Parts: sequence; C-alpha cells; structure tokens
Amino acid sequence: MSNVLVTHADEPIGRRIVKLLFHDPRVGRIFAVGDGSPPRAFDRFLSGSDPRLRYARVDLAKHRPVADLFHSTALRESEIDTVVHVPRHGAPAAQSAPIVAGLAERTAETRLVLQHCLETATVRSLVAIGSAFVYRLPPGNANRLGEESELDLDPDVAPEIRSWIDCDMILHGEVHNDRLRVVLLRVPTVVAAGGYVYLSPALGGRPGLRLRALGYDPICALVSDKDVARAVQAASHARSSGIYNIAGSEAVPLSVLARWTGRSSLPAPGPVVRWVAAGARLLGAETARVASHTLCYGFTLDTSRAERELGFRPSDRIGLARAGDGALRVETAAI
Amino acid sequence: MSKEIAFSPDEASLGELLASGSGEPALGRDPFAEVVEIDPFLERLDSVRTRGRVLGAAAAPSPGPARQAPAREPGAARPEAPRSWTTVPLPRRRRARTPALGEIELGEPRGWLDRLVGEEDRRRLAALAHLVEGEMPFDRYGFSPETTRQAFPFFHALYRAWFRVRSHGHEHLPQEGAAVLVANHGGLLPFDGAMGVIDVLLHTNPPRLLRSMVDRWAGSLPWINVFFARVGQVVGTRENFTDLLDDGQLVLVFPEGIEGIRKPVTQRYRLQSFHVGFVEQALRARVPIIPMAFIGSDDQAPILYDAKRLARRLGLPVLPITPTFPWLGPLGLLPYPVSYKIAYGEPLAYHERFGPEGAGDARLVRYLANQVRRAVQLLVDRNRS
Repeated sequence: MSNVLVTHADEPIGRRIVKLLFHDPRVGRIFAVGDGSPPRAFDRFLSGSDPRLRYARVDLAKHRPVADLFHSTALRESEIDTVVHVPRHGAPAAQSAPIVAGLAERTAETRLVLQHCLETATVRSLVAIGSAFVYRLPPGNANRLGEESELDLDPDVAPEIRSWIDCDMILHGEVHNDRLRVVLLRVPTVVAAGGYVYLSPALGGRPGLRLRALGYDPICALVSDKDVARAVQAASHARSSGIYNIAGSEAVPLSVLARWTGRSSLPAPGPVVRWVAAGARLLGAETARVASHTLCYGFTLDTSRAERELGFRPSDRIGLARAGDGALRVETAAI
Repeated sequence: MSKEIAFSPDEASLGELLASGSGEPALGRDPFAEVVEIDPFLERLDSVRTRGRVLGAAAAPSPGPARQAPAREPGAARPEAPRSWTTVPLPRRRRARTPALGEIELGEPRGWLDRLVGEEDRRRLAALAHLVEGEMPFDRYGFSPETTRQAFPFFHALYRAWFRVRSHGHEHLPQEGAAVLVANHGGLLPFDGAMGVIDVLLHTNPPRLLRSMVDRWAGSLPWINVFFARVGQVVGTRENFTDLLDDGQLVLVFPEGIEGIRKPVTQRYRLQSFHVGFVEQALRARVPIIPMAFIGSDDQAPILYDAKRLARRLGLPVLPITPTFPWLGPLGLLPYPVSYKIAYGEPLAYHERFGPEGAGDARLVRYLANQVRRAVQLLVDRNRS
C-alpha cells in the first residue's frame, strides 16, 4: 500500500490522477497540493472524519512553502513513498508567469520537488509528467520518435518549450539514482472530453484564433487525459525507472485538431508569424497563440517501451462527437 | 505553539530537536494543518442538499442506498477491493492490413473524381481506407485515404497516358507482411516514386500502399511536405523506417539519395553509391529486400550540368541545367513524356541467412548493400536491353 503526493492536483490532469488513485486499492493516503482552492470534484473524497485524500495550497515554485510541505506532520506521519509531479498546465496566465530565481516557474517547481524527494528518506518514487515537445523534429510532416531520439537543444527554441526541456534534463539526471526511482512520462498534446486541450505549445490556453505557418500542417500525436492518469498509475506501481513516451493511437494534423477543439488556426507566412510572436512577447501577450511557427514539423511517439515495462496501452479512443450545443467537439471514450 | 530554534554548534541538540518534533512541523507552517478555503457555492449546495435530505426523509421513509462510501472507523482496515489486479496479457499490436478486392463493399460514386476512375480502381482506393485506425481520418504519418482518392485520377492519368507505364515481376511482391523495395533513382523530380506507388497499388491483391522514404529536404518544403504525408510518403528517418517495417508495410527506398537524381546525362542508369541503412533495417526487422528497376526515369529530365556551388548557396540540393530548364522557367522542370518500365526482381532473403545480429556488423552490411546494388543494376541493364 503506497501513500502518494500529487502536485498541481487542482488542474485538470492532476484532478484526473487523484480520482484514479483514489479508487486504486493499492494506494493508501493521497496528499494533493495545488495553487487554488480544492476542486469541487474532490468534495466527496475530502468528506468524512478521516479522509484518505487531503488537500493543501502550496506554491511549488518557492523554496520555503515546498520545504514546509515536505516537512509537514501529515506527510511525515503517513510516510509518503511516491510523489507524482504534474506540471502546471491548466491556467493560461501561468504560461507567462514571472521567472523565479532565474528559472521559468515550471523549471523551478520541478527542481524543488526533485530536491525534496531526494532529501526525504521515505520517498522512494518520483513520477513526473514531461512534454514530448522536447524532441528535435527532423523536417517532415510526421516523425516517429522514440525515447532515445535527440532533444531540441537549439538556443533559439521557444521559451515555453525551453522550460520543458530544462525540466526534462533535471529529471533525466536522476533517472539512474539508486535510492529514488525517477520515472519521466513524456506526453504529447493531451485532450479531454468537451474539446479541452493541454500541454500543447500551439493550442494551449484560451480558445480563439491561432497563427500557424503557411504551407505546414504537422501531425499531432494525441493522448486522452484519462490515459495519462492511467500511465501515471502504472508508473507509480511499476518497479522500473526511466523515461517513457506515452501516447494514444490517434494522430491528427494541427489544423484539424485546432478545429476540433474550437481553436481555429489561421495560416500565415512564416516571417509574419515570427514578427507577431516577437511582438506578442514584447507586449507580454499570450505567446501560445502565435508560437506555433516553431511547430512546422509533427511527430508521433513510439510507446513500445511503456507498453513493455509499464504495461501501459491506451484505453481511450479520441474522436469527434456532437456536443449539446450542436457543435462537433473532440471526445474521448473507452475502446 | 511556536518553537524557538537556537543555533548551536552541538549537533546532538539539533538532532534531538528534529526528532522531538514528530507531532509538529519541523520548519515553518504546516500546509495541511491550515483550513482549506471552501467555495461559497459549495456551501450553498451543501445546505440545499441537507435541507432536501431532511425534507425527503420526512416524505419518504426509505431514501434508498446512499452513493457515499460507508464511514470507516479511524485505523480500521480498508475493505477489500472489489476488483482483482491480475496481470492481463497485452494484445498484440494491430498490423496495417487491407482487405482483398472481393471483400470491399463499394458505394455509389462520390463526385466527378470518382466517375473518372473505374470500379476496380475505386475498390483499390476503398481498401486503403482500412489502413487508417478507428474513426480517425489520418494514420500516424498523416496518410489520408480521402486525399489519396482525390489525387489518384491525376497520377493515374500520368501513369496511363504520360508515362505509359509497363511493368512485370509483381509475383515477387508479398501479399502481406513487410518488405523493403530498393530501386534506382533519377529524373530530377520523383515521378519514379509516384509511378511505383501507383503500380504497386494497381497490381496487388489485397491492394497495398507503397510507403516511399523521401528525402529530409522534401520534408521541409511548404505544401510539398503536407502532400507527401497525405498520400502516404514518409520522411526517411531511421525511426520511421523501423516503425513502418514493424507495422508490416511495403517500404520503397532509393539508396542513392540525392546523388541519384542529380547525376548527369552521361551517367544515366549507372547506379551511384548506396547508403547502407536499408540493409540494417531489413536484417533487424527480418524482412526480404526486393530489387526494383525504373527504366525511363533517367530520360524524363536529362541533366546537362549541375551548378553545385550555386545550389549550395541557395540551400538547394541540386540546381540543374537541362534542355528545358531554366530556359522555360518552372515549366522546364516538367518531365518529358518518356515511356516507363518497372521491373521487380526476386526477393533477396539475407535476413534468413544472417539474422538481426548481422545488422551490427558494418562490413557485412556494406557488403550486402553492394550486393543489392549489383542486383538492381542487373535488373536495370536487363530491362533496358
């Protein structure tokens, strides 16, 4: 029976993970932390005199609150042995969050969580969600990428992707640690029922018009939020450590995905997209709307390692369904 | 209660201090000890629920089973899980397969494009739709059966009328399972690859889609890269190659690469040196190598001179001077209406003799690549004469 700490549990993927772990008989207590107030979905789990789930608000980008978290009575008494680190992905405002101690907020959070996992004697496993957009993409509409594929270490890479690469490398450095089992799950664009899309540098944030490079329509690997939660569950119970690609069976071009998720994309010549992106960055606007000039080339992921070592296979199908308002939206359903 | 920490060089006292604080946070505040904010909406909802339950209890004596889990005493063992967590063997990955022509149920023609195509060809195109998994209109490489259906009449017209393709040796193409087709390359624009795809589609049952490995440079071209992907062509990276073979597909490679299409007219039908990666892939995946010859491709745009230095400065792989280019502008790049001949040789089953471990032997791989080159050259020479 393992006790689990889940970070950013108030955001959509974190919520999904907490729900799945709550119904897992192999999991004892769950400690969920997030930025905001506890999600309404947790009401049932938090009720009772001795709930299995406990929730706290913690700013994971700052050293003191994270230290307080890992030294808290509840965590020490429960002997947390697994930490699930979910990066920030829900709120669009967070994408332009201030830099903390010279690092992007996402990087600072990952570094602090890893550091405290290493320092806390009871913690044996760290399962972290990373992004598959860290790979260097060879020219081409679609590329099959494995875990050994090259990372994009180009200094001109977009800041959004840069922070993912930094997190990836921070965790990669501890993959062979003897005491702490580190599992990094690289996930592509995550879609959820109702047309929601997460962790996509091109489509993240609020719905609306996006610019994309004219003449390119890269293929986007997809995975459902439920499958991400299942992968985290499998990784937290597995014995192996390492880096795993996690993806569903489906892949669609960027233009189609944008249409399905209510984010229409406008093709514009590459230089125009670059100028608009630079202008948006100067003005502090949401860069996700114009950052897609870096995403001319698409990819899909080879998930055979996760299948072999974690026993993970996508269980959800992603497709189109007609919503209540009559509009066609992306939907996920069990295979 | 706040604890005052006095800095002391005595390590023992610090240890006692840390050990004694088992009931309190060692440092700072305890985030789990704080009262979590409750959304006022939920408070209202709770009050409504409570009132409703009381009223409902008064009206109906039996409210039915509650959905909430039964309360447990603190410290009591958790009830056993209703589900057992046994390891379930994972099903094998589905391989890309198409049904035979007789199994296809053909609908009414859709639009004027369908009317240009015969019924049998429509069946072949319909079979390709089975390469796409589930309800998705694309496979993981961006292949779209719909785009292929729309592009087919144009390329079919090129196949029949412009290049007047004749072919033989189709019996060497496997009905199912992966194979690597290795061919000579020529003609500036890759119409040889396109004719190969059409020929394989028209002469196999079940119909098979030939996946050509295209050069990375083509993958970077706007629109071109999208079109290639939609009609099933894939950028030639090692991972893509491996994945297609694992998926049981027919893969066409031109191991000469760019050198093949930019060779001058004096070198036509003389194979340039081969890249060897395809042999490694074939050995690893345990699939046969099928030599393939295109006759006509080297005549469709004879290169008189290749301005390599200027091409390098412009970032182009080739900048040719042909009898029509650059004199006629972009129109000069169009292929001449030469007659094509496509020949398939006997499969070379190196994988049976050397196995996957042979892929790690660089000398063996180079030797086998030369053997394949010789086989393709023989096929070309035989069919030219």
